[in-house]
Amino acid sequence: MTDFSALLATLSRHEVAFIVVGGAAAIAHGSARLTQDLEIVYERSAANLDKLVSALADNQPYLRGVPRGLPFSWSRVTLAAGLNFILVTSLGDVDLLGEIPGGGGYGDLLPGAIELHIFERRCHCLSLAQLIRSKRAAGRPKDFEALAELESIDEEGGD
Amino acid sequence: MDEWQRSSLHDVVQAYKSGIDRTLIRENLRLTVEERFQKAMALARFAEELRRAGREARQSKS
Repeated sequence: MTDFSALLATLSRHEVAFIVVGGAAAIAHGSARLTQDLEIVYERSAANLDKLVSALADNQPYLRGVPRGLPFSWSRVTLAAGLNFILVTSLGDVDLLGEIPGGGGYGDLLPGAIELHIFERRCHCLSLAQLIRSKRAAGRPKDFEALAELESIDEEGGD
Repeated sequence: MDEWQRSSLHDVVQAYKSGIDRTLIRENLRLTVEERFQKAMALARFAEELRRAGREARQSKS
Protein backbone atom coordinates (compact mmCIF):
# COMPACT_ATOMS: atom_id res chain seq x y z
CA MET A 1 0.00 0.00 0.00
CA THR A 2 1.26 3.45 -0.88
CA ASP A 3 1.97 5.67 2.10
CA PHE A 4 0.96 9.06 0.66
CA SER A 5 1.78 10.80 3.91
CA ALA A 6 5.36 9.49 4.09
CA LEU A 7 6.03 10.04 0.39
CA LEU A 8 4.79 13.63 0.43
CA ALA A 9 6.76 14.23 3.63
CA THR A 10 10.05 12.99 2.19
CA LEU A 11 9.59 14.95 -1.05
CA SER A 12 8.76 18.12 0.87
CA ARG A 13 11.56 17.62 3.40
CA HIS A 14 14.06 17.49 0.52
CA GLU A 15 12.42 20.55 -1.06
CA VAL A 16 11.68 18.74 -4.31
CA ALA A 17 9.76 20.91 -6.78
CA PHE A 18 6.77 18.79 -7.81
CA ILE A 19 3.04 18.86 -8.46
CA VAL A 20 0.66 16.09 -7.41
CA VAL A 21 -1.33 14.87 -10.42
CA GLY A 22 -3.47 11.83 -11.34
CA GLY A 23 -5.50 9.81 -8.86
CA ALA A 24 -3.94 11.40 -5.78
CA ALA A 25 -4.84 14.85 -7.08
CA ALA A 26 -8.35 13.54 -7.68
CA ILE A 27 -8.52 12.38 -4.04
CA ALA A 28 -7.45 15.85 -2.93
CA HIS A 29 -10.42 17.24 -4.85
CA GLY A 30 -12.89 14.76 -3.35
CA SER A 31 -12.74 11.68 -5.57
CA ALA A 32 -14.00 8.46 -4.00
CA ARG A 33 -11.96 6.29 -6.35
CA LEU A 34 -9.10 4.21 -5.00
CA THR A 35 -5.64 4.88 -6.36
CA GLN A 36 -2.61 2.70 -5.85
CA ASP A 37 0.15 5.18 -6.59
CA LEU A 38 1.35 8.73 -6.12
CA GLU A 39 1.81 10.47 -9.46
CA ILE A 40 3.83 13.66 -9.58
CA VAL A 41 5.14 15.98 -12.27
CA TYR A 42 8.62 17.01 -11.27
CA GLU A 43 10.73 19.98 -12.29
CA ARG A 44 13.58 18.93 -14.56
CA SER A 45 16.46 21.17 -13.50
CA ALA A 46 19.69 19.45 -12.46
CA ALA A 47 19.34 20.83 -8.92
CA ASN A 48 15.83 19.43 -8.56
CA LEU A 49 16.84 16.05 -9.98
CA ASP A 50 19.50 15.90 -7.25
CA LYS A 51 16.86 16.64 -4.59
CA LEU A 52 14.56 13.98 -6.03
CA VAL A 53 17.36 11.43 -6.02
CA SER A 54 18.18 12.26 -2.38
CA ALA A 55 14.52 12.19 -1.34
CA LEU A 56 13.90 8.64 -2.54
CA ALA A 57 17.41 7.18 -2.19
CA ASP A 58 16.66 5.54 1.16
CA ASN A 59 13.45 3.98 -0.13
CA GLN A 60 14.88 1.48 -2.63
CA PRO A 61 13.41 2.99 -5.81
CA TYR A 62 13.20 0.48 -8.67
CA LEU A 63 11.31 0.24 -11.95
CA ARG A 64 7.83 -1.16 -11.33
CA GLY A 65 6.98 -4.39 -13.12
CA VAL A 66 10.58 -5.01 -14.13
CA PRO A 67 12.31 -8.18 -12.91
CA ARG A 68 14.61 -7.59 -9.96
CA GLY A 69 18.33 -7.63 -10.54
CA LEU A 70 18.45 -5.65 -13.77
CA PRO A 71 20.91 -2.76 -13.80
CA PHE A 72 19.08 0.34 -12.62
CA SER A 73 21.01 3.18 -11.13
CA TRP A 74 18.97 5.67 -9.10
CA SER A 75 20.84 8.82 -10.04
CA ARG A 76 20.53 12.25 -11.57
CA VAL A 77 22.07 10.86 -14.78
CA THR A 78 19.32 8.25 -15.05
CA LEU A 79 16.58 10.81 -14.44
CA ALA A 80 18.10 13.26 -16.93
CA ALA A 81 18.24 10.55 -19.58
CA GLY A 82 14.52 9.80 -19.36
CA LEU A 83 11.26 11.60 -18.72
CA ASN A 84 8.70 9.35 -17.03
CA PHE A 85 9.68 6.81 -14.36
CA ILE A 86 7.19 4.31 -12.99
CA LEU A 87 8.69 3.23 -9.69
CA VAL A 88 8.12 0.98 -6.74
CA THR A 89 9.66 2.11 -3.45
CA SER A 90 9.55 0.94 0.15
CA LEU A 91 6.92 3.66 0.73
CA GLY A 92 4.76 2.49 -2.16
CA ASP A 93 4.31 3.11 -5.86
CA VAL A 94 5.40 6.45 -7.31
CA ASP A 95 5.11 7.71 -10.88
CA LEU A 96 7.57 10.48 -11.72
CA LEU A 97 6.31 12.29 -14.80
CA GLY A 98 8.19 14.89 -16.79
CA GLU A 99 4.97 16.10 -18.38
CA ILE A 100 1.33 15.16 -18.78
CA PRO A 101 -1.07 15.34 -21.74
CA GLY A 102 -3.05 18.55 -21.90
CA GLY A 103 -0.84 20.23 -19.33
CA GLY A 104 2.83 20.00 -20.23
CA GLY A 105 5.64 20.08 -17.72
CA TYR A 106 6.15 21.52 -14.25
CA GLY A 107 6.66 25.10 -15.45
CA ASP A 108 3.50 24.98 -17.57
CA LEU A 109 1.39 23.54 -14.76
CA LEU A 110 2.62 25.52 -11.76
CA PRO A 111 0.79 28.83 -12.46
CA GLY A 112 -2.60 27.08 -12.44
CA ALA A 113 -1.84 24.63 -9.63
CA ILE A 114 -3.24 24.94 -6.12
CA GLU A 115 -1.31 24.68 -2.87
CA LEU A 116 -2.26 21.89 -0.48
CA HIS A 117 -1.53 22.10 3.24
CA ILE A 118 -1.41 18.45 4.11
CA PHE A 119 0.31 16.25 6.71
CA GLU A 120 1.86 19.43 8.14
CA ARG A 121 3.53 20.21 4.80
CA ARG A 122 2.75 22.33 1.79
CA CYS A 123 2.80 20.96 -1.73
CA HIS A 124 1.38 21.83 -5.12
CA CYS A 125 -1.46 19.91 -6.72
CA LEU A 126 -3.29 20.23 -10.04
CA SER A 127 -6.42 22.34 -9.84
CA LEU A 128 -9.68 20.55 -10.60
CA ALA A 129 -9.84 22.35 -13.98
CA GLN A 130 -6.29 21.23 -14.85
CA LEU A 131 -7.06 17.68 -13.79
CA ILE A 132 -10.17 17.55 -15.99
CA ARG A 133 -8.24 19.07 -18.90
CA SER A 134 -5.44 16.51 -18.63
CA LYS A 135 -7.86 13.57 -18.42
CA ARG A 136 -9.72 14.89 -21.46
CA ALA A 137 -6.49 15.32 -23.40
CA ALA A 138 -5.32 11.81 -22.51
CA GLY A 139 -8.62 10.46 -23.86
CA ARG A 140 -7.94 6.96 -22.58
CA PRO A 141 -10.93 4.67 -22.12
CA LYS A 142 -9.74 3.83 -18.58
CA ASP A 143 -10.10 7.53 -17.69
CA PHE A 144 -13.70 7.96 -18.86
CA GLU A 145 -15.27 7.03 -15.54
CA ALA A 146 -12.70 9.10 -13.63
CA LEU A 147 -13.46 12.04 -15.89
CA ALA A 148 -17.18 11.63 -15.27
CA GLU A 149 -16.52 11.70 -11.53
CA LEU A 150 -14.27 14.78 -11.75
CA GLU A 151 -16.89 16.66 -13.76
CA SER A 152 -19.49 15.60 -11.20
CA ILE A 153 -17.26 16.97 -8.42
CA ASP A 154 -17.04 20.24 -10.35
CA GLU A 155 -20.84 20.33 -10.67
CA GLU A 156 -21.15 19.67 -6.94
CA GLY A 157 -19.02 22.75 -6.29
CA GLY A 158 -15.78 20.90 -5.61
CA ASP A 159 -12.67 22.90 -4.80
CA MET B 1 -8.39 15.53 -30.87
CA ASP B 2 -10.82 16.65 -33.59
CA GLU B 3 -14.39 17.89 -33.15
CA TRP B 4 -15.93 14.45 -33.72
CA GLN B 5 -13.67 12.87 -31.07
CA ARG B 6 -14.41 15.69 -28.61
CA SER B 7 -18.12 15.23 -29.15
CA SER B 8 -17.88 11.44 -28.74
CA LEU B 9 -15.83 11.80 -25.56
CA HIS B 10 -18.42 14.22 -24.18
CA ASP B 11 -21.23 11.73 -24.89
CA VAL B 12 -19.32 8.84 -23.29
CA VAL B 13 -18.48 10.86 -20.19
CA GLN B 14 -22.11 11.98 -19.87
CA ALA B 15 -23.20 8.34 -20.04
CA TYR B 16 -20.75 7.41 -17.27
CA LYS B 17 -22.06 10.24 -15.08
CA SER B 18 -25.35 8.44 -14.51
CA GLY B 19 -23.39 5.76 -12.62
CA ILE B 20 -21.52 8.16 -10.36
CA ASP B 21 -22.57 8.01 -6.71
CA ARG B 22 -22.80 11.69 -5.83
CA THR B 23 -23.48 10.93 -2.17
CA LEU B 24 -19.85 9.76 -1.91
CA ILE B 25 -18.65 12.95 -3.56
CA ARG B 26 -20.72 15.14 -1.23
CA GLU B 27 -19.42 13.20 1.77
CA ASN B 28 -15.82 13.71 0.61
CA LEU B 29 -16.33 17.40 -0.10
CA ARG B 30 -17.29 17.86 3.55
CA LEU B 31 -13.86 16.51 4.62
CA THR B 32 -10.55 18.38 4.69
CA VAL B 33 -7.97 17.39 2.06
CA GLU B 34 -5.96 15.56 4.71
CA GLU B 35 -9.04 13.64 5.85
CA ARG B 36 -9.69 12.64 2.21
CA PHE B 37 -6.19 11.14 2.00
CA GLN B 38 -6.57 9.40 5.37
CA LYS B 39 -9.83 7.88 4.16
CA ALA B 40 -8.23 6.76 0.87
CA MET B 41 -5.35 5.09 2.73
CA ALA B 42 -7.77 3.35 5.10
CA LEU B 43 -9.73 2.07 2.09
CA ALA B 44 -6.50 0.86 0.47
CA ARG B 45 -5.58 -1.00 3.69
CA PHE B 46 -9.05 -2.59 3.71
CA ALA B 47 -8.72 -3.59 0.02
CA GLU B 48 -5.29 -5.10 0.74
CA GLU B 49 -6.72 -7.08 3.65
CA LEU B 50 -9.56 -8.34 1.44
CA ARG B 51 -7.07 -9.47 -1.21
CA ARG B 52 -5.02 -11.28 1.44
CA ALA B 53 -8.10 -13.01 2.85
CA GLY B 54 -9.21 -13.98 -0.66
CA ARG B 55 -5.83 -15.51 -1.43
CA GLU B 56 -5.89 -17.41 1.87
CA ALA B 57 -9.40 -18.73 1.21
CA ARG B 58 -8.50 -19.90 -2.30
CA GLN B 59 -5.37 -21.65 -1.02
CA SER B 60 -7.18 -23.45 1.78
CA LYS B 61 -9.84 -24.63 -0.70
CA SER B 62 -7.32 -26.12 -3.14
